[in-house]
Amino acid sequence: MKFRKSILVLIAISFVLFLAACGGNDGENEEGTQGNNESSGQKITIFQSKVEISEQLEALAKEYEEETGVEVEVWGTTGDDYFQQLQIRLNSNQGPSIFSVRHITEAEKLASYLYDMSDEPFVEHIAPNMALEHDGKVVGVPYGVEGFGLVYNKDLVSPEDIADYDSFINTLEKFNGEDVAGLSLAQEAYFLIGHLSNYPFSLQEDNYEFIQRMNAGEVTMAETEEFQAFGQMMEDLRANIPNPLDITYDEQIGDFATGKTAMIHQGNWAYGMFEDYELDFEIGMAPLPLLDNDKLEVGVGSNWGINGTKDEEEVQAAADFLDWMHTSETGMRYLVEEFGFVPAFTNIETNDLDPLSQAVLDATNSGETIPWSHNYFPANVIVNDFVPATQNFFLSEDVTGEELIDSLDSAWQNATK
Amino acid sequence: MNISKIIKELLLLLFSLVFLSPVYIMVVNSFKNRQELYENVMALPEQFSLQYYIDAMDKMNFLTALGNSLFITITSVIFIVALSSMTAWMLARTDNKLSKFIFMTFIATMLIPFQTLMMPLMQFMDTISSTLNIQMLNTRGGLIYMHIGFNAGMAVFLYHGFVRSTVPISLEEAATIDGCSKLGLFWKIVFPILKPITVTVIILNVIAIWNDFLLPSLTLTDTALRTIPLSTFYFFGEFTIQWNMAMAGLTLTVIPVVIFYVFAQKHIIKGIGEGAVK
Amino acid sequence: MANKMTKGWFALFTVPLLVIFVTVVIIPFLMGIYYSFFDWDGIGANPMVFVGLENYTQLFSDQRFLDSAWLTVKFTILALISVNILGITFALLVTSALRTVNAARAMLFMPNLIGGLILGYIWQFIFTDAFKIIGESTGFGGVFFNWLLDPDYALYALVFVFTWQMAGYMMIIYIAGIQGISNEIIEAAKIDGASYWQKLRKITLPLLMPSITISMFLTLSFAFKIYDVNLSLTGGGPINSTELFALHIYNEIFGYGNYGFGQAKAVIFFIVVAVVTLTQVYITKKREVEM
Repeated sequence: MKFRKSILVLIAISFVLFLAACGGNDGENEEGTQGNNESSGQKITIFQSKVEISEQLEALAKEYEEETGVEVEVWGTTGDDYFQQLQIRLNSNQGPSIFSVRHITEAEKLASYLYDMSDEPFVEHIAPNMALEHDGKVVGVPYGVEGFGLVYNKDLVSPEDIADYDSFINTLEKFNGEDVAGLSLAQEAYFLIGHLSNYPFSLQEDNYEFIQRMNAGEVTMAETEEFQAFGQMMEDLRANIPNPLDITYDEQIGDFATGKTAMIHQGNWAYGMFEDYELDFEIGMAPLPLLDNDKLEVGVGSNWGINGTKDEEEVQAAADFLDWMHTSETGMRYLVEEFGFVPAFTNIETNDLDPLSQAVLDATNSGETIPWSHNYFPANVIVNDFVPATQNFFLSEDVTGEELIDSLDSAWQNATK
Repeated sequence: MNISKIIKELLLLLFSLVFLSPVYIMVVNSFKNRQELYENVMALPEQFSLQYYIDAMDKMNFLTALGNSLFITITSVIFIVALSSMTAWMLARTDNKLSKFIFMTFIATMLIPFQTLMMPLMQFMDTISSTLNIQMLNTRGGLIYMHIGFNAGMAVFLYHGFVRSTVPISLEEAATIDGCSKLGLFWKIVFPILKPITVTVIILNVIAIWNDFLLPSLTLTDTALRTIPLSTFYFFGEFTIQWNMAMAGLTLTVIPVVIFYVFAQKHIIKGIGEGAVK
Repeated sequence: MANKMTKGWFALFTVPLLVIFVTVVIIPFLMGIYYSFFDWDGIGANPMVFVGLENYTQLFSDQRFLDSAWLTVKFTILALISVNILGITFALLVTSALRTVNAARAMLFMPNLIGGLILGYIWQFIFTDAFKIIGESTGFGGVFFNWLLDPDYALYALVFVFTWQMAGYMMIIYIAGIQGISNEIIEAAKIDGASYWQKLRKITLPLLMPSITISMFLTLSFAFKIYDVNLSLTGGGPINSTELFALHIYNEIFGYGNYGFGQAKAVIFFIVVAVVTLTQVYITKKREVEM
């Protein structure tokens, strides 16, 4: 009896709740259409992939709203599934006004959504060759520049030890069998092979042209000298460093920070990871000397793009926001201090950078860099195909470097067929 | 006899504890910074400071998120229970091709991975929004609607089996002769008998909906609408996870369901008691 | 007249849920089938080219798909066995007259309350760190090593974690079933002097058949759809040795950007699994009625 009564009450409540929910919808609906279609009370939305700056970006959005009255809403999702979510949202007409585009491959895919920013005022401040261009139009503004190479412990390794390929391998051999590991990689896709696989491409005279020829099937990795050297290097690495599949990014950083590893192959983004550790040594970043390479790999991690399918006012409001972010006092302060970016803009001053970012900036300013190539790779080829091939290479000693290169070749052909 | 019983009790307890070890990892690491976690994942933290919890709650906008999660979960589950039990009973009591077809469709769809549905789902919901002018996306109501749809299959499946195996038809026939309408018959006679399976359906659905990340992350964009699991996204970066915050966030997510489960469990046990008396 | 009434009641009871169900699940599913006939990268503004059945004919020569399908079958079978044996054992234990059952029941169910990706990460700590420590300190290095590095063991690791997560869930279903068995039968058996195993084999298990059917099907449907733990624990590796079906489709659709091809795979695998399981459910349902 009691049970029956409580059920009836529950049902009554549920209907009220549902009605309330529906009522709520209508309210939000009206608000939503107002925000999208009417000129007054402009609102823009941002969806971006660098979760690490979400909070700071929200704060910046608030400052912008106070200053200009334009509402900026920052959406969020985990770093893993950003692009899929963006794709789904664009497809169901729920796209944001500003979103991040990691590289040209994504830009090509999303070309019909990307607004041509070439005539926007802030574009002229973008450092040379750093704008994201498609069909001769500027479609993306770089977040900032990032660079990677050998991050080393200055107490354990001196620059001469890694100045050229032979001394690099000698150094690793010296460490091999000692308590301290010479170098470590980590199991995550980009740290395992993604970044490393840049070198043989980036060492080409024109890496973009080379990749175009690869896509057209005119050239293979296996027949190219830089890749043969790369395969040899992978074998030398496998013989002298701990199995990277057994090491997570966290462990890699921890081992390095506590002096158990002398070098790691990482980028300036890793510096934030050291915050919780008390480093009692100085660190530096040096080029990975494949074929005696002496330049850091520097490129753009991600770009801001504007959704050109929105109505004119929203597009303009989005462009205004990006302009403000890169030219106003507040915006520039956030970029450098809060987001921790190494700016790819000529009008933005930097000081007090961490040593890794400083190394990247110095290399950029002196032109001692080679460009990132993975931005031109076929979509997701690293995660989907390079990683299994590399896992196979590290798990069984009898896979040669040559065979690794062959499997990368066939992965490439599979992805571009 | 007694000794063997004690041993059994100890074994059960010991096993349960081993079973809980991942929960231990979750809790202890919510108190550690990156270096402590790196040094030993298993060890107890140096200090039990609630700092990470406070930070996590602050970042997650915890109270708003809790309110959203409660509202969405409770409403969805009420609808799932009410609608699925009615449907399942009717399907179980009408022995024709149509009922069989509907039932088979319900359970067949339980085999479809959500990942293959999500894109068309969002597109279709957008179509509904724009043609019928009912806002399905970025509203709590829309999310609840979708939760009902996705969880209906399993609930119908569970109820259907239970109706067939435990609800005596004679009782229903007697009530029909007494002049009960079908609706009255169901709510007054049948539904109370379904109580044990209702509790099960509630528990399973509360957990599924409470923890869901993918569906709400696709449908809700408005910051003010975020559920608890959604608002933990801040801790999951592109390459790295802020472990202490993520673990603290997870613990905070789990606590309400644990409380709920302990409460619901009492009901199950009470159910056993009632059965015994009868 | 009476027929009309019955139809009316039928509609009243089923239509509200059916409307929701059709709009949320069936229509998107049909749309997915529609897409499977196109060559499309999944970006709304980009061209969709109708290719007929080409996606379907192509997928049988896709080795990675066939491997993944086979892995999923293997995983599902292992999971079905381990989850249900453990689930029944737990249910029997916590419905016995032990004093610790309440605490145990809550603890055994707890793994279920933790959802999502992070579960996989927590288990990664266990397999990489805890297993290593246990292996080194006990000398059972042959069992306790990092399972995630070995292409065979990585799949077992997934079964392990899945079992850990689902056994408590199925325990709930079995508890409901055990409670449904009347005490009189058990008491009668006791008076007859039946041993514990006899009671279990001759009375409890047969009477639990409906629960077993339900749990088997539920386990199957969860195992078949496993995604979160797969992604965060192994990511499909090492060397694609644990790329189960949902992850494989996800990679095809969003990783490679072959939307239509991915949908075609989903459709084929769905048909195969649905036919097998529905037949099974149909048969057992029929048997239950006869009983």
